[in-house]
Amino acid sequence: MECLSVKSEISDTFRSVRDFSFHAKKESLYDEEKINAFLDTILEFKLILEKKTMTINNVIEKIEKLTWYNNLDDESLMLINDLISSIKDLHSTLIRQYVSLNIIRSKGIAKEELKKFKIAIDDLKETYQDLESVFFFLPEIPNFKETTTLLSVI
Amino acid sequence: MKVFCLEEFKLEFEKLRNKKSYKSIEKDIIDYFFGKSVEELSSGTRLNNSIDAPYIKKRLNGRGGFRCYFLLVIKDENLYLMFVHPKTGTLGSDNITDESKAYLYRKVYECIENESLYLLELNTENDSINFKKV
Repeated sequence: MECLSVKSEISDTFRSVRDFSFHAKKESLYDEEKINAFLDTILEFKLILEKKTMTINNVIEKIEKLTWYNNLDDESLMLINDLISSIKDLHSTLIRQYVSLNIIRSKGIAKEELKKFKIAIDDLKETYQDLESVFFFLPEIPNFKETTTLLSVI
Repeated sequence: MKVFCLEEFKLEFEKLRNKKSYKSIEKDIIDYFFGKSVEELSSGTRLNNSIDAPYIKKRLNGRGGFRCYFLLVIKDENLYLMFVHPKTGTLGSDNITDESKAYLYRKVYECIENESLYLLELNTENDSINFKKV
């Protein structure tokens, strides 16, 4: 009785090994098609990040250019104030998106692209702070305007 | 275009140049400021609403992500480097305060008036900055 059971177990094991061996030979562990699809997805993700980073940097350049306009009236300053609020909102959204990518970052995927994305987000924050300085804070600092007048006659 | 600087700039520049992680500062400064026209240098954030002498904050997007503060006196074609700091790393900071921006602005005016400045010149290979007291 015991002898029959052993034989059956051996046969079962043999079948398992044979099936596994057959499939292992048929399908490579590195299925080229699946690997390519995986790499394509990473590449696509990298391109999306690069595009987003470029868009942020273009926005930053546009914001900086606003500081070269002279003597803005109150209506324009109010528009600048609205713009600052809108950039702050955009910054919060982008930070949330960046944090949501933590799992990807922890796996070392698109490391360089994520780094540049974060730098662009930080630059955006710096740009709205500078915009506030230029139009609202620096003109209120004693001597700042006076220095501008003094420098215009040297 | 003549390039001058304040003591504040010289001190920060030399401190950064001697640190391995910020050594790109010298090349970044040379590439951006030397041999450039007024038009090429009139970009970045203008802090003072002035046409004749814009006070500019420029992000240098090299490896160190340096922030450079300078004054451009257009009629004389003179450039005054006022301060520089990195954005990241051990000596990095996000920004400088508005009070510091105002202090540097007044300081550059006083230093121009008193001729208390350094003239920046390049060596023959154009890869190193020499500071000469004015």
